[in-house]
Amino acid sequence: MKEKLEALLREGTAKIEAAQSEAELQEVKGALLGKQGSITELLKEIPKLDVALRPEMGKAVNNVKNLLSEQIEGRREAIKLKASEVPADFDCTIPGFEPKIGGLHPITQMCYDLNDAFRSMGFEVFSGPEITSEYYAFDNLNFPPNHPARESMDTYWLEGHDSGEASDKLCLRPHLTGDSVRYMQTHKPPYRFVYPGRVYRNETTDARHERAFFQYEALIVDKDFTYTAGKVMIKSILSKVFGQDVPVRMRAGFFPFVEPGFEIDMGCLVCGGKGCSVCKHVGWIEIMPGGTPHPNVLRAAGLDPDEYTGFYVNIGLDRLVMMRYGVDDVRLFHSTDLRFLKQFR
Amino acid sequence: MKLSLNWIKDYVKLPDDMDLTRLAYDLTMSTVEVEGAESLAERFDKIIVGDIKEVLPHPNADKLRVCKVDIGEGEIKDIVCGGSNLEVGMKVVVACPGAMVRWHGEGEPVEIKNAKLRGVASFGMICAAVEVGLDDLFPCEDDHGIMDVTAFDAPAGTPLAKALDLDDIILEIDNKSMTNRPDLWGHYGIARELAALYDLPLVEFDKYVPECTSTVDVRIVDGERCPRYIGSKIEGLGVKPSPFEMQSRIWRVGMRPINALVDITNYVMLATGQPTHVFDSNHIIDHIEVRRANEGEKLQLLNDKELNLSTDDLVIADAEGAVALAGVMGGAKDSVLPETNSVILEVANFESKGVRRTALRYDNRTESSSRYEKAVDPERCDQALSLAMKLFSELYPEMKVTAFNDVYPVKLVKKEIDVDFDWLDRRLGKRIPQEIVARKLGTMGYEVTFTEKGMHIVVPTWRSTGDVSIKADIMEEVARMYGYENFEATSITTSFDGAINQLEVDLVRKVKEYLAFRCNMQEIFTYPWMTDEFVTAIMPSTDGILALATPPSPTEKYVKCSLLPNICKAIVKNERNFDEFDIFEEASVFLDRDYTENYKGEKLPCQQKHLGCAFVGSSDNISELFRRAKGVIGMMPRYTHMEAFTFEKLEKPYWADETVWLNICLNGKKIGDLALLSGKAAAACGIKVLSAVLVEINMDELVPLKSRTNRFVHIPEFPMNEYDISFLVDSMVKWDDIYNAVMAKKNELLRDVCFVDEYKGKQIPAGKKSVTIRLVIGSGEKTLTGPEIEQVANSVLKKLNKTIGAEIRTI
Repeated sequence: MKEKLEALLREGTAKIEAAQSEAELQEVKGALLGKQGSITELLKEIPKLDVALRPEMGKAVNNVKNLLSEQIEGRREAIKLKASEVPADFDCTIPGFEPKIGGLHPITQMCYDLNDAFRSMGFEVFSGPEITSEYYAFDNLNFPPNHPARESMDTYWLEGHDSGEASDKLCLRPHLTGDSVRYMQTHKPPYRFVYPGRVYRNETTDARHERAFFQYEALIVDKDFTYTAGKVMIKSILSKVFGQDVPVRMRAGFFPFVEPGFEIDMGCLVCGGKGCSVCKHVGWIEIMPGGTPHPNVLRAAGLDPDEYTGFYVNIGLDRLVMMRYGVDDVRLFHSTDLRFLKQFR
Repeated sequence: MKLSLNWIKDYVKLPDDMDLTRLAYDLTMSTVEVEGAESLAERFDKIIVGDIKEVLPHPNADKLRVCKVDIGEGEIKDIVCGGSNLEVGMKVVVACPGAMVRWHGEGEPVEIKNAKLRGVASFGMICAAVEVGLDDLFPCEDDHGIMDVTAFDAPAGTPLAKALDLDDIILEIDNKSMTNRPDLWGHYGIARELAALYDLPLVEFDKYVPECTSTVDVRIVDGERCPRYIGSKIEGLGVKPSPFEMQSRIWRVGMRPINALVDITNYVMLATGQPTHVFDSNHIIDHIEVRRANEGEKLQLLNDKELNLSTDDLVIADAEGAVALAGVMGGAKDSVLPETNSVILEVANFESKGVRRTALRYDNRTESSSRYEKAVDPERCDQALSLAMKLFSELYPEMKVTAFNDVYPVKLVKKEIDVDFDWLDRRLGKRIPQEIVARKLGTMGYEVTFTEKGMHIVVPTWRSTGDVSIKADIMEEVARMYGYENFEATSITTSFDGAINQLEVDLVRKVKEYLAFRCNMQEIFTYPWMTDEFVTAIMPSTDGILALATPPSPTEKYVKCSLLPNICKAIVKNERNFDEFDIFEEASVFLDRDYTENYKGEKLPCQQKHLGCAFVGSSDNISELFRRAKGVIGMMPRYTHMEAFTFEKLEKPYWADETVWLNICLNGKKIGDLALLSGKAAAACGIKVLSAVLVEINMDELVPLKSRTNRFVHIPEFPMNEYDISFLVDSMVKWDDIYNAVMAKKNELLRDVCFVDEYKGKQIPAGKKSVTIRLVIGSGEKTLTGPEIEQVANSVLKKLNKTIGAEIRTI
C-alpha cells in the first residue's frame, strides 16, 4: 500500500503539472480527490487494514491528500496568472485600423517644411498677387525691353491686357521675383523674407515640363552682406529638405535680376556624386539659381545699391519634391488624382 | 554649342597633360556649363584602316565579296562585304569586333561581333562612311559604296581617328548658360576665358591692312541697325572643296562642309563668333546698300524660303533689290553659285534686337542670327576680316583683293567703371591681392589702372555691348576667375527685435492643416484656368471673367473666378476610383473688376484667396453628406482660431440645389456658400454617380484671433444627466425651431440640448417626422433624483407641444 501511495503521489504531481487550464485541473482534481478519486478510494481501504497499521497509513494517505490539494491550488494560481482573455487562435498579425486622416499636397508639405526652417532663422513669409503687371514681372527686375521671356510664347498674357505700357500689360506671374520688390517697397530694411507661390509659363508639357509650378524664393537684404553668407542659407535649406548635409557648389550663371548670378548645384544623392542617369553623369544636379540682387532691382525697391546688398535664391519646389519621393512625372502634381495625392501622408 | 579642344589650342596653349575633367569642371564653375566632353578617338575605338589585298567572290551570294584585308602588321583577315567599289589596294575603314557602328547609318550604334555571313566567317566589317558617321566628310553617291581612305596614306592597322587626324575632344556647351555673353560664341572667346583661368597667354589676331586703293561702294542707310559694314571684293577664286583639315574642323563642331568659299565664312564664324557672308560679285549690281526692306519687297532665301519682307527687316541690297536678309541668311540668287569666281566678302555688324525680330518673324533662326542676337561688338569685324583674308590667301594663292571698304562711322564706346577696393573686399567677404585682380582682368581684356582707393577699369569692346556696365559686374568677374569655391561660407548676422508674428499667414496654414488632419480631407492643386464645360455648369455667365490671350487650349481660356469649376473636374476624375472622398483647394481667384493700385505703378484686378471644398459621397444619404460638410465648416473657426461665422439663407448660389444651400456669413456679411451641387449642374459637369456638397469661402475675409478666446469652465460637482426624448412633429418643422423652443426653458437645471436623430418613413404618419433630442439636466447643488429629472423633461415636452405641436412618440 505504501508503494501504491508513493506511485499515486508521483503520478498525481505529474498530472497536476501537466494541466494547462482550469478545466483540465478540475478533471485531475476529480480523478485524485473526488468521490471516486484514487486517494479517496485508498482512504476507503484503510479500515480493511491491520489495526496497528491504520493510524500510520491513515496519516500517510492524508498527508498525500493534503500535498496534492496544495499542489492543485498552486497550479490553479499559476494557470490564472498565465491565462489569456481570448482563445489561443487570436491573430496578432491582423492589420490595425488606419486613422482616418486626409493630407496636404506634397508641395504644400515641402513648402511648410521650408517655412519652418526659414522662420527659425527670422524670415517672414510673404505672398503677392498672381496676376501681375509687366512692370513688376519684368521691368523692375532689370529684364531688358525685348527680353525673350516677355514674349507670349513664354508668358500667359491676359486677353485685352496684352499691349500698351508695362503698367497696363497683365499676365499670370511667370516667376515670383517681382514680389520681392513689392515686399521691399512696403517694408523697412533690412529684409529677410521668403515668398513661396505658384507661377505659370506658356510651355509645352511633358513629364519634365509643366505650365504651372510652385516656386520658393528667399531674400536677404542688408548692409554689406557678402555673397558667401548666401552659402549658409542654401545649406540650411537643403539639409532641412533632405535631412542630411548635402554637398553644394555655386557656379557662374546669368539671370537679369542678379549680379553676380549663380547656378547652384547639389551633389546627386542617387549616385553619391559618382555620376548616374539622374544627374546626367556629372554627379551634380542643378537645383536653384541665386545671387546678389541687381542694383537696378534694389533701386526699384527704393534702396541705394551702394549701401544695401543681399542674397537671393529661387527653389523649384516641384523638382525638389520629385527628388524627395522619386516622382517621375511633374504633371501628376496638378492631376488632382487622389491615387497619387494620398501617397504623401 | 560644340567646341573642338584642338581648335581652342590654336589660340591658347593649354598644357599637353591638361586634365580634361578638370578643364570641363573649371569652365563650368567660372563661365559656361559644359554638358559633356566626347573623345573622338573613343568614338572611333576599334575602327582602323585596312588594306584590301584580295577580293574574292562569295560562294553563296552574288552581291557579296570576301575580302582578304591586311589589318596591320601583316595580319590578314577575311571580311565579307557588299561594297560596290571594292578594289585591291584600296584603303578601307574596318570596324573590328567591339567597335560601335550604325547599320546603314540608321538607329542606335550597335556593337560589331564576329559573325558568319551566308556561311562565311567575317572579321568585323568594312564600313560605309554613313556607318561611322562620316558621310558629311566622305560623301558617297552610291548607296553601296564603302568609305575610301586611300588618299590618307596611313598604314594598315592605324586607328581611324589618327589616320584622319580626328584625335580631338569635343566639348558640348549649354547655350542657355551663355546667352548673356556674345563674346563666347566662338572658339576664340572660350580660349580667352581659359587663358584668364589658367594665367596663360592668348594669341592675338593680326590686323588686316588693305593694299588695294579701289573701294567697294557700300551705303549704310540705316546706321542704327548696321553700325559697321566691311565689303571686300576678292577675285581669282573658284568653287572647290576646302582642305580636309578645314572640313574636319567644321564637321567636328556640328556643321556641314559645303565648298571652300562657304566653308571659309563658317570657319571664321566658328573661330571668332563673328558671322560673315560671301556674295557672287558678278551678281551684285553697282553697289551695296544696307537698308530697311521696302513695302512689298520680296526675297528668296538660300534655303528657298520665299519671303514677303516687312519694312522692319534690314536687308542687304544692290541697285536692283534685296540680296540678303541682314544677319540672318543670304539670298538664293546672289550668294555662292557653282560658277562663282569672285566674291564680295561681307564682315558686318548688325543690331541685335532687329536681327532677332526678323529671324523670329520668319521662323528662320540661323547660326548667324543666333550670334547677332546676343549683341556682337562691331570691333570684332577686324578679327574676322583678318582670319578670312588669311584663309582666302591660303586656299587660293592666286586670289586678289581688288576693292575694299570699311564703313564704321560711329565707334563703339567702351564702358568705364571705377571700383573701390574697400567696397570690393566687403562685398566679396575676402581680400583678394590686387595684383591677382589686375592680372585676371587684364587677360580678359580689361584695361586696369590703379587709383588712390581702387581701380579705373576700361571694359573691352566685346563686353561693352550690355554685358558689363557696373561695378557689380566687375565683382563677378573677379570672384568667378578667383574661383567661387575659394570663398569660405561666412555666417549670417542679424539684430533681433521680436519674434515673427504673422496671423494671416498662420491662419491659412491652420485652416489647411485642420481640413487635412482633423477632417480627413485631401488637398489638391489645379491650374489657374478653367475648362469651358465646367464654367458653363457652375457660373451663371462668363461676364467679368478674365481670359488668357494665348490659352493652353481653346477650351481653357478663362481664368479662375471661382475654385468650384476645377473642383468639379476633380470630382469627375476621382469618381471612377473612389465612392467617397472629401477634397479641398486653397488658391487665388481673379475678377475683372475693382482694379486697384496696391503697389506703386500698377493697377491690378480683384484677386482673392479662396478655399474650395467638395464633400463627395453616395446620393442615397444627402443628409449625411450635408451634415459632414456643415460640421467641418461649422467647427473650423473654433479649431483654427478665427472669428466665428454663421450660416444664413440670403442668396442661393447659381449652382446649388433648390433646398440644400446655405450662405456662410461673418458679422452679417456673406463670405461664402455651402450647398449641394444641383442635379442639373452635376449632369452638366459629367458627374455620373455621386453627389457633392460644395463649399467656397473667401479667405481674405477671415479674421484670425490674436489669441485664444475660450474660457475655462469648472467641472460640475454633481452629475449631469443626459435624457433622450423622442416626439412627432410636422415634417416641415426645423431643428432651429426645436432648439429655440427648448432653450427658452433653459434654467439652472436644464443646461443644454442637442440633436440626436430624426426619422421619417414606416410607422411615422405622412407629413410627420420623429425627432430625438438629448437634454442635459443637472444641478449645481445636489444630485438630482429620477422624478426631478423627469419633471424637467416633461416641462420641455410641454413647451414643445405648445410651440411646435410636438407629440410624444408612443410606439
